[in-house]
Amino acid sequence: MNRILNAGIRLFLLTLVFSASPLLAQKTKPAKIKAAALQVEMIQSDEIKLPAEFQVALYENLIRQLEKQGFSHVYRDGDRNAASVADLVVLHSTVRGFKAGSERARQVTTVSGATSITVHCQFTSSDATSLLEQDVNGKVRFFGGNLKATYDFAKKAAHVANENFFTPGRE
Amino acid sequence: MTSRTTTVLVGVASLFAGLVIPVGQAQQVSGPVKVVQITGLAGVKDNAKGTLQVENGRLHFVHGKASSDVTADSIQEVVTGADSQRAVGGTLGMMSMAAPYGGGRVLSLFRTKIDTLTVQYRDADGGLHGAIFTMPIGTADVIKKELVPQGAQTTAPGEPSPAATSRTSPRREQKQ
Repeated sequence: MNRILNAGIRLFLLTLVFSASPLLAQKTKPAKIKAAALQVEMIQSDEIKLPAEFQVALYENLIRQLEKQGFSHVYRDGDRNAASVADLVVLHSTVRGFKAGSERARQVTTVSGATSITVHCQFTSSDATSLLEQDVNGKVRFFGGNLKATYDFAKKAAHVANENFFTPGRE
Repeated sequence: MTSRTTTVLVGVASLFAGLVIPVGQAQQVSGPVKVVQITGLAGVKDNAKGTLQVENGRLHFVHGKASSDVTADSIQEVVTGADSQRAVGGTLGMMSMAAPYGGGRVLSLFRTKIDTLTVQYRDADGGLHGAIFTMPIGTADVIKKELVPQGAQTTAPGEPSPAATSRTSPRREQKQ
């Protein structure tokens, strides 16, 4: 009887430790930076030769995903309305790596032909002070066209923005 | 014997004509071109099928009853490209993946070549937009050539025809 009780207590303590660890981890997260609005600059790919459709798809998907994450004011590159916004965060994206892949190879072999894009994302304030820098990649391994990698990137980049910035009134 | 040779020659000539004539016809675009708007046009859903036409200094996209216009002088960049898509796509394409003995994978080998047209333009507030269209081979270059004289800008005015490049050298994978 005691053995069963001891085992039960151990199991309870073990569960408590595992369930408490994410809570402890959350405490160590850095504080979010205030961003009244985001402005997304056009994707730059000076060093890497990137097809125009990928560049545009990265940009458009990024804006869409940021809006989905709850950023109510997402300004486009060159939007004059962004100039008067206080606490504006500007997102500069530069392509660091690109493998075009092949949809045909993916569908025929399953294991080869993956498309991948690595983009260096830099969040700055309106006075060009760097707030956060991170490499984000987008991939399509199995199903879908090559441009789906841009959607994957956009989702991850928007998640990074959501983890590190907050819009007053949203949270 | 002579008639047999003639029949063979006519057959071979017809075959070559069949290969060449569709490309020639595709490049002579007059009127709307059937396109798929992949992404980017304001107020239009992704992957919307419709028609695209250049008229009165505007790039005019019609999807069902809705339409969307982009003025040529607001276009900062027009780029054409070549791509390919599955010959058997959609639901049937997905269902074929479950075919036994890799039958679906064999179908994936059959692909049709298409043109892509990528347009970057600015809205009234100066915000940059990008739109991507796919269309039958040989038509993207024609639309680009119609847009440029009407005020659209391009950094690659002497871009080779995507139809020509895709026939001679399909886009290779870039590994960097």
